[in-house]
Amino acid sequence: MTDRLVDDIRGALRVVIDPELGENIVDLGFIYDIAVADGAVRITMTATTPGCPATSFLKEGAQAAASTVAGVASVDVTMTFEPAWTPDLMKAGVRASLGFAAVN
Amino acid sequence: MIGGSISRWTMTYFAAALTWLLVALALMVAGIGHPAADLAAPDTLVLVHVVCIGWLSIAMCGALFQFVPVLVAQPLFCERWALPALVLLTAGLVSLLAGFMALGARLPSAPWLLPLGAVLLVVGFGLVVVDLGLTAWRRPTGPARFVLVGLASLCATAAFGAVFAFALAGWAGRMGDAVLARGIPLHAVAGLGGWLTLTAMGVSYRLLSMFMLAPDVEDRKSRLTLAAGALAIAATVGGGAIAIGFQLGLNTVLSIAALFGLACAALYGRDIAAIFRSRKRRHLELNMRMAMLSFASLAATGLLGIVLVSTRTLPLYLGAFAFLVAFGWLSGLVLAKLYKIVAFLTWLETYGPVMGRAPTPRVQDLVAESRASKWFTIYYVSVWMGTLALLAAEPGAFRMAAAAMTVGVVGIVREIVRIRRLEDVASPLRLPAGAVAPHLLFAKT
Repeated sequence: MTDRLVDDIRGALRVVIDPELGENIVDLGFIYDIAVADGAVRITMTATTPGCPATSFLKEGAQAAASTVAGVASVDVTMTFEPAWTPDLMKAGVRASLGFAAVN
Repeated sequence: MIGGSISRWTMTYFAAALTWLLVALALMVAGIGHPAADLAAPDTLVLVHVVCIGWLSIAMCGALFQFVPVLVAQPLFCERWALPALVLLTAGLVSLLAGFMALGARLPSAPWLLPLGAVLLVVGFGLVVVDLGLTAWRRPTGPARFVLVGLASLCATAAFGAVFAFALAGWAGRMGDAVLARGIPLHAVAGLGGWLTLTAMGVSYRLLSMFMLAPDVEDRKSRLTLAAGALAIAATVGGGAIAIGFQLGLNTVLSIAALFGLACAALYGRDIAAIFRSRKRRHLELNMRMAMLSFASLAATGLLGIVLVSTRTLPLYLGAFAFLVAFGWLSGLVLAKLYKIVAFLTWLETYGPVMGRAPTPRVQDLVAESRASKWFTIYYVSVWMGTLALLAAEPGAFRMAAAAMTVGVVGIVREIVRIRRLEDVASPLRLPAGAVAPHLLFAKT
């Protein structure tokens, strides 16, 4: 049941698009963890760079998207930059389509 | 812009700055204030101040109100000062320009116009300096250090300018007259080199890394670049003031400053090349490709300076040199970055609040790069042609180049207006439920 809810949340998060890269935050590898306990959801996520001005919008967007999933009572989103995001966290197809360089 | 907050008046600053740029271009096309003419000629003073205060400084202030909070991850010290500062700067510039026109007998004599303009500009820039300075000082690291040195240079530039204005009105005494007679190079270097160039360098470090997903330049490297630039400005302003005060020659001081300035430009080139090399995003967007042309212009400026100094012809071609600095390097970079910043801020303002609630476009969906690229190409090619025309002392060819620059800038402005109006966003994504269309001239958030 919990696994299915996590999958549903992951699916809902795909509506959140990184404005610069134009891909959803799940396929970009921004979502580090989704934990569920009694309907309370805790999402740990990142962004490309700490200085990115869209960071709080991404966080709020993830919260709003996850809240729409049936069975979710509350959502807490934590933004972290440890470990830092790197392109190897992206889905291979997305990385190729965006023409990203190999990870330094 | 901490997280989602957007500076309300940045777009207003950009609109005012672009208006002044079009005024400057119109003056050059009309042949008023030819860059190669005597710098002290009233028409030249009008043109120079329209470009440096109206266009470059106001655009820079607007960008800094948005980006200094990002650089230091702290909110702006006082957001409410941004609009009064713009009003004061605009009124001060208009008064200053009227004063110059009165000096040139284009308007009836009114000696008070110049000091009034200077006071208004000092107060306006004072609000900007205190607001941005106190914000940057909270976390003075990396690019924020460049901004702080840039703001200090702005203070020096404004101080010299105020003395000049009072001296031209006959209200500054013998010391003021001495500063006016010999201090113009110090005013110009502090303004173009310290305030505008060092600040543009600092902001570009962050913007380039952010937009190309490159690691930030190592702190010790950027600090070395800044140190060279700061020494150039300190040598110019401090050494220059001492030389004027003790009636010594300025050439040695300016030569030392030029060496530091060249070192700064070379180190900056090294840092920017490192950002480009280490970028994770291989495809370069239009703003980056166009920024590269401004970096090439900066490099060309350095080479031109070396050639002119070594052939002892700098005084003869100072107009061409300053024109390439103002339009090839600074204006080119500002226009390229405006194109991206306006799209990014418009996206944040319109689509940020509905993210996660509705499908949203990408920032790139707000722009039409293939259409915009031709306007930028026209702009840069005509700037370089204009520089050659000034070097060849061909005023007719220069005016034609200025006319072509105007075509390029009008095209770029049109693209920016289209971005603000979301005209290039495909209709299914243009205004999702809950999204509010942005105002052309200010942020609604």
